[in-house]
Amino acid sequence: MEERPVVVLGGGISKFAAERRDGTIRDWMVEAVQEAVQDAGVEIEEIEHATTSYFSDHFDKQLKQGAIFHDSIGMCPKPNVRVEGGGGTGGLALRNAYAYLKAGLCDSMIVYGAENMGRHVPSDVSQQFIAMASDTDWEYLVGGFYIAYYAVMIQEHMRRYGTTEEQMAMVSVKNHRNALHNPKAHGPMKITVEDVMKSPMIAAPYKRLDCSLLSDGAACLILSTEEWAKKHAKSWQAKPHIYFAGTGCGTDFMRMGDRPRPNPGICHFRGKQVASQQAYAMAGIKNPLKEIDVAEIHDAYSGVEIQSYEDLGFCKHGEGGRLLEEGVFDLGGELPCNTSGGLIGFGHPVGATGVAQGVEIMLQLRGEAGPGRQVKGARRGLMDSHGGTGTFVAVNIFERRD
Amino acid sequence: MAKILNKREVLTVPNPAAAYQKEDPFADFREVEMLELHWEQTYHHSLGKYSKFFLELEKKRFLATKCPKCGKVWTPPRPVCPHDLQVTKWVELSGEGTLEGYSICEFAPAFVSSEKPYVLAYVALDGADTLFCHQLRHFGDRSNIKTGMRVRVAYAEGEVAHPIRLMYFEPV
Repeated sequence: MEERPVVVLGGGISKFAAERRDGTIRDWMVEAVQEAVQDAGVEIEEIEHATTSYFSDHFDKQLKQGAIFHDSIGMCPKPNVRVEGGGGTGGLALRNAYAYLKAGLCDSMIVYGAENMGRHVPSDVSQQFIAMASDTDWEYLVGGFYIAYYAVMIQEHMRRYGTTEEQMAMVSVKNHRNALHNPKAHGPMKITVEDVMKSPMIAAPYKRLDCSLLSDGAACLILSTEEWAKKHAKSWQAKPHIYFAGTGCGTDFMRMGDRPRPNPGICHFRGKQVASQQAYAMAGIKNPLKEIDVAEIHDAYSGVEIQSYEDLGFCKHGEGGRLLEEGVFDLGGELPCNTSGGLIGFGHPVGATGVAQGVEIMLQLRGEAGPGRQVKGARRGLMDSHGGTGTFVAVNIFERRD
Repeated sequence: MAKILNKREVLTVPNPAAAYQKEDPFADFREVEMLELHWEQTYHHSLGKYSKFFLELEKKRFLATKCPKCGKVWTPPRPVCPHDLQVTKWVELSGEGTLEGYSICEFAPAFVSSEKPYVLAYVALDGADTLFCHQLRHFGDRSNIKTGMRVRVAYAEGEVAHPIRLMYFEPV
């Protein structure tokens, strides 16, 4: 019998959009919290602890943003902790919540994530700000920025395995299409492989439509122990029971040139290999492709999703593109990936992203994802959240138990 | 009333969630004032234990560090080997190496003063165990760039904005 099982009580997401001039980051965060509290059927005054998930201090010109989030929803004087790990921030925040609950530091935890990524600064400044999450004494100074780093990686993947630009474009088509069924999405679009191929080149082979979206937005997830849920959460009576079944974390060298070759070299996400194996061991998963029903993948760029299929062990290295072509990862396929639209279609407000993945998986497992994107009978879902070029990776697994 | 120096505009914004919210819960909060904020700082930044690398570049010498225990040669240099936490020794490399990865960038982030396109290149320098990232220039037609091609460290003329820009890569 598992001690102190951790459960997922409810979630909320603010509208993701390119530029939300209607509010500030704290306003979006409050919207997500309002929705999550209602969804969970809990009172905010009863929640014992918070985890703050946001990445950047310079996008929002505010240090210690967590204090503002925390007091905006009446959580003072209760405890709070900030988690930060670049693009992996949200996934790491969920993992942190799991650890705090499991360890008995609290019996209930609200995780809120938000980011102000939008168009309040020009896109070349946005890319500079994000590039500051690479080594600012070295690569950054010679023109390194994230689209280029990932472009170097996928070039190596193409060279080794014959992965094609058309396969990458198919990821973009799929994720923008999935986002059509997500009313919160920033980038729902019906596009073709040709549209992606014809979009402006940024860092070869990545074109504009291969890239995730710089979004404004927030997401919130409420977790607790099973015992706490029974006493305090209306959702525990009303909704299917979702358990936090596994978590893993892996890392790699900040500068990918320092990583051992050939694995991961400048081709694979070693941290993702480590994180997923840990999570699978906890959740008792031996064959992830067969035993996972739905997954949210950190598709920062279209090729990253293909690389991630492989490093998450859904298939062998070099097979991701082919399985994608066969429709394995489409809605209706064997393992639908990024049903929300992912970072490419739903959007990527960094600190919110990994938390929003958790909300999507919770909705999928409850059967509440809505028409168009619900995976029928989904019982087990995976979230893959990574920062840098795989520098920090968190993999979390939720499971429905009736 | 004083004139506000950084006021840009005042506008009424729509409810961004209108597609799925029947009523706007924030209907009384839709008038928005936009400001212009500006922030610029000068930092006194130490290159610390990496300084020798940059000072030697001025003499057209390319240095790496070698671990006395495991023998691994790190470039960019590291004062301490991450494998076994031993203090490393400076070694000079020839500056020649092999192109291991690259991307041709048609877009440049705000801090990159380079002409576009530019090539971000990862090079395995002869004698090093890691890859060094810098720009590849003087490659002629872009179809000449091939993974596995031989390249070398070249040294910049004129003025550079940062000591890392004293060097770049070019084909051998």
